[in-house]
Amino acid sequence: MISPAARNHLLALADDEHIIGARHARWIGLGPFLEEDLAFCSIAQDELGHALSLYEVLLDTTDDRLIDHFALLRSPEDYRSCWLVEAPCSTWSDALVRHWLYDEAEVLRWQALSESSIDAIARRVDQALREEVFHRSHADLLLSKVLTTTTEAKAAIEDSLGRLLPIAAGMWDPLVDEAQTLDEGVMNATAAELGQRWWTRVADQLTSWGVTASLGTNGALGTAIDTAIDSAIATSSAQQRNRMARSPEFDELLASIQEVITIDPSARW
Amino acid sequence: MKTFEVFLKKAGREEFRHVGAMQAPDPEMGLMLARESYCRRAEGADMWLVERSNIIEADPAVLAPNADKPHRHNDGERIAEHRRSTREADQ
Repeated sequence: MISPAARNHLLALADDEHIIGARHARWIGLGPFLEEDLAFCSIAQDELGHALSLYEVLLDTTDDRLIDHFALLRSPEDYRSCWLVEAPCSTWSDALVRHWLYDEAEVLRWQALSESSIDAIARRVDQALREEVFHRSHADLLLSKVLTTTTEAKAAIEDSLGRLLPIAAGMWDPLVDEAQTLDEGVMNATAAELGQRWWTRVADQLTSWGVTASLGTNGALGTAIDTAIDSAIATSSAQQRNRMARSPEFDELLASIQEVITIDPSARW
Repeated sequence: MKTFEVFLKKAGREEFRHVGAMQAPDPEMGLMLARESYCRRAEGADMWLVERSNIIEADPAVLAPNADKPHRHNDGERIAEHRRSTREADQ
């Protein structure tokens, strides 16, 4: 049996994977060039696949219809996604920066599940991490190339980082019953510990690219880094309230992903 | 953007085969994107990318004269024709 605390923890990852998959998939046919379009949408499919495999464990079923209903037909307050994945990211620089920030985090989150006391989860970690190798190298390489093309491109990326980094801090907003999940051995690190590793990786990579990332009104990475990060975390935590609050754009997103299933919820595909 | 020709080889003693072309800003991006464009379903165990500008192309006009030398074509058509006419003459 999966405890309610463990369920919450896994649901947060599952919903993040689902929503970012849905958001990435919006770029089908709109990517900057055909080959990149294919790669990006392939990543979207991988993320949806991760969501599906987690929903299977949570619902203890492989019945597509039950999973579809759970994935698509909950009320907004029953989702546990963070605001980074919910954000529309309707410019390519936003979408690329979000992809990089998210996949840098996703690897750490799956790694923390590698020795999970829930066998079905531990068994899924290897495949997810294999796919993440490609996701991360794709994000890293593309972002590093874009940053060295033109000053305008670099400015656009820095602008996206400035807006998305403070929102991304919400990925590490702990769930209320996190301590219990840790006691049960569901994962082996707290959100705060993973978050700290993530901030270090992100900041190191940005420094190596020569990028100064603003953290909005909270300051800038590369200056008083600890203060800026703490402040960004406090701001995102007040808004996202331990993943209990949905972002302002969520309702519109949910309505759009429900468009097909609500035509006939009893349909079998 | 550069254009690359993509070659895949299945595991074992198969040869590399041309599977198509693609565009990418540079070889590094080309290799990464080729995987998603041509190899998502494990179509190959090895992959080559050749930048199209590195291909040495023959002039079709230079190749053309070969087409009018039927004696170089060892397809047995003339022998088959000879046997057919001999058979018809016997009947």
